[in-house]
Amino acid sequence: MASVLVVTEVNNGAIRESSLELVSFARKVAESSGREVKSLVIGSGVDGIAGEFAGKGGGETLVVDSADAANYNVDVYKKAILAGVEAAGADLVLISNTPQGWDVAPRIAAALDCAFVSDCTNVEASGSSTTFTRRVFNGKLDAQLSVEGTAVASVQPGATEPFAGSADGSTTALDADVSGARAKFVEIKQSESTGIDLTKADVVVSGGRGVGDPDKFAEVIQPLADALGGAMGASRPVVDAGWLPHAHQVGSSGQVVTPKLYVAAGISGAIQHLVGMKGSNFIVAINKDADAPIFEIADVGVVADLFEIVPALTEAANAAKG
Amino acid sequence: MKVMVCLKQVPHQDARLDVNADGTWIQDGNIKFEINSYDTYALEEALKIKDAGEADVVVVSIGPDRVTQALRTALGMGADRAIHVKDDDADLSDTLGCAKILAAIAKEENPDIVFTGFMSDDGNFSAVAPMLAELLDLPSATGVLSVEVGDSLKCERELEGGALEVVELPKPCLAAIQTGANQVRYASLKGIMQAKKKPVDVKTMADLGVSDAGAGAVKAKIEKVYVPPKGDSAEILSGSTDEIVGQLVTKIKELGVL
Ligand SMILES: Cc1cc2nc3c(=O)[nH]c(=O)nc-3n(C[C@H](O)[C@H](O)[C@H](O)COP(=O)(O)OP(=O)(O)OC[C@H]3O[C@@H](n4cnc5c(N)ncnc54)[C@H](O)[C@@H]3O)c2cc1C
Ligand SMILES: Cc1cc2nc3c(=O)[nH]c(=O)nc-3n(C[C@H](O)[C@H](O)[C@H](O)COP(=O)(O)OP(=O)(O)OC[C@H]3O[C@@H](n4cnc5c(N)ncnc54)[C@H](O)[C@@H]3O)c2cc1C
Repeated sequence: MASVLVVTEVNNGAIRESSLELVSFARKVAESSGREVKSLVIGSGVDGIAGEFAGKGGGETLVVDSADAANYNVDVYKKAILAGVEAAGADLVLISNTPQGWDVAPRIAAALDCAFVSDCTNVEASGSSTTFTRRVFNGKLDAQLSVEGTAVASVQPGATEPFAGSADGSTTALDADVSGARAKFVEIKQSESTGIDLTKADVVVSGGRGVGDPDKFAEVIQPLADALGGAMGASRPVVDAGWLPHAHQVGSSGQVVTPKLYVAAGISGAIQHLVGMKGSNFIVAINKDADAPIFEIADVGVVADLFEIVPALTEAANAAKG
Repeated sequence: MKVMVCLKQVPHQDARLDVNADGTWIQDGNIKFEINSYDTYALEEALKIKDAGEADVVVVSIGPDRVTQALRTALGMGADRAIHVKDDDADLSDTLGCAKILAAIAKEENPDIVFTGFMSDDGNFSAVAPMLAELLDLPSATGVLSVEVGDSLKCERELEGGALEVVELPKPCLAAIQTGANQVRYASLKGIMQAKKKPVDVKTMADLGVSDAGAGAVKAKIEKVYVPPKGDSAEILSGSTDEIVGQLVTKIKELGVL
C-alpha cells in the first residue's frame, strides 16, 4: 500500500504542534485514497518523542536519530527525508511550511522529480489524484492545483486542527546515511530586546504599505494611537523600507499581539501579518480595496481612503475623551 | 568572482488583479509590472559584493518581451550582463521547470554565488531556489537576511519571531534573499545610460537544451484561481465619513478603551 508521509519538526526537544496538524490532513487523505499514514522524526535523542508521536496518530514512525541532526541542517535533513520517503514507500509527503520546511521541502521534490505545492491550506485526495488549495498573490487570490502521482506539499501552520486522538503506532529506526553535509550550522541568535513591547498595549494602531510615505506614520497613524492610548504597529514592507524600526512590526517575523483593539490601516491582510494579530479581541480594518483579505478577519471594516477616516477618527476620539 | 541573480518580473503590487476568462490565472494584458520585491534585495546583495571588490554580476530572467524592462533596470542599477529566456512555453513552467531552465544557465555560467528572491509576489511558491540548488548540487539557504562573503558564504536565515539561524555555506552556493536584507539602490541616470550598452543575451529552452520544462512538464496543474470565498467577514460600515467615525467611536467606547 502506498503511504502518506508526515515529516515532523522537532524544536527544542519537542515535536512542533503543526506536525499534528499534518497528521489531521494525512489521516483524511489516507482514508479517501487508500493510503497508510506514516511519519518521520529526525533529530538527536528523539526516540522517546517519536514513540509518543506514533501513538498520537503518527502511525508507523520512522526515526532518523543522529548527532548530525541535533540542529536543523539542510543537507542532513534532505538525506534523512529522502531515506524516509523510500523506506515508507510514500507517494505523498507532507511537511509544515516553516523555516525548516520551506528550506528543505522543494529540494525533496527536485530530487524526486515530482510535483511540489507550497503553503497549502487544504489537501484532498481520491485515488491517485490529489487536490491542493493555497493562496497566491500574497493572499489576494486562492488557487486550486491538482496532481496525478507523487507530490511533496508544504502545509500552512494553523490550516487545520491538530489531530487530538490516539491510534496504534510503532517506531522503526532508520539507518540513513546523513553524513557529508556541506552547510554548517553555526548558531541561533535570539532577537534583541526591541524597545517597544507591542504585546503589552491595550490598543495597537498599525499602518501598512498603503500609508505610502514614512512621514505619514508620524502625521496620521501615531496620532490615532495616541488618541486611543495605544502603540503604533506596522506591516513588514514598512519596516523593510526603513520607514519604521523592526520593533513596530506585527506578524510572523515580528511581534504577536492580542490587544483589546487592533486597527489595521492600509494593510492587505497577508497570512504572515494575520498570524501576528488575529488573536486581538476586536479588529477594525480600513482599506480602500473591498476585496482585501484583511476584511475576512476584521470585526468591523471601512472601505475608504485611510487619509479620510484616520484623521477624522483621531479627532473624534480626542473629542470623546473631552 | 561571478554572481548570478535570478529576477522575476511580476504584476505591480498595486495592479488590479482580475481573474482571466478560463479562470486559471490573472488578466495580465493591461497591467503594470515590476521586479519582484524579494529579487530587488537579491540584486542589491550582489551589487554590494561588486562594490566591495571584484564581481561580475549577471542577471537572469525567464519571461515575455516586457521582461526586457526589468533587465534594463537591473543593468541600470549596476549589473554587468543579462540573460533573457524569451520563450512562450518557458513562461508556463512550474517551479521545477523554472529551476531546470535556470540550472541550464548556471551550468553555462558557473557562478560562485547564486542569489534569488525568497518568494515571488505572484505565485508565492518559495520553491525555485532550493530546487535550483538541488539540481546544481549546491548547498543553499533560504530566507536570508544578511550574507558575509569569504571563502564561504555566512548567511543569517530568518526564523520566526525575529530569531536568526547562522549557517555557513562553502562556495559555490545559493542563497534566497528575504525582503529587508538591505536598502535597495535606485538606478542612476548615468547607470541607465550605461545600461544601454550592456549586453542582453536572448535564449530559448532549445538553445539551453532543456526539454522537460514548459507547459507540458507541469506536474501540479492550476485548475482554478478565484477570489477567496467570503466567510464570516467584517461588518462593513457605510455612510458619510462623520457617520462612519461616529459608529467607530461607539464601538470603541463599548470596548472600554475610550
Ligand atoms: C517568511 C515571511 C515572513 C513575513 N513576515 C511578515 C510579518 O511579520 N509581518 C507582515 O506584516 N508581513 C510579513 N510578511 C510579508 C507579507 O507576506 C506581506 O507582503 C505584507 O504583510 C504586506 O504588507 P501590506 O499589507 O502593508 O502591503 P500590501 O499587501 O501591499 O497592502 C497594502 C494595502 O493598502 C491598501 N491601500 C493603499 N492605499 C490606501 C489608502 N489610501 N487607504 C486605504 N487603504 C489603502 C491597498 O488596498 C492594500 O490592500 C512576511 C512574508 C514572508 C514570506
Ligand atoms: C498562465 C500561467 C499558467 C500557469 N500555470 C501553472 C500551473 O498549472 N502549475 C504551476 O505550478 N505553475 C503554473 N504557472 C507558473 C507559476 O505561476 C509560477 O510562476 C512558477 O511556478 C514559479 O513559481 P514562483 O514564481 O511562485 O516562484 P518562487 O519559487 O516563489 O520564486 C522564488 C525565486 O525564484 C526566482 N524565479 C522565479 N521565477 C523566475 C523567473 N521566471 N525568472 C527568473 N527567476 C525566477 C526569483 O529569484 C524568485 O524570487 C503558470 C504561470 C502562468 C503565467
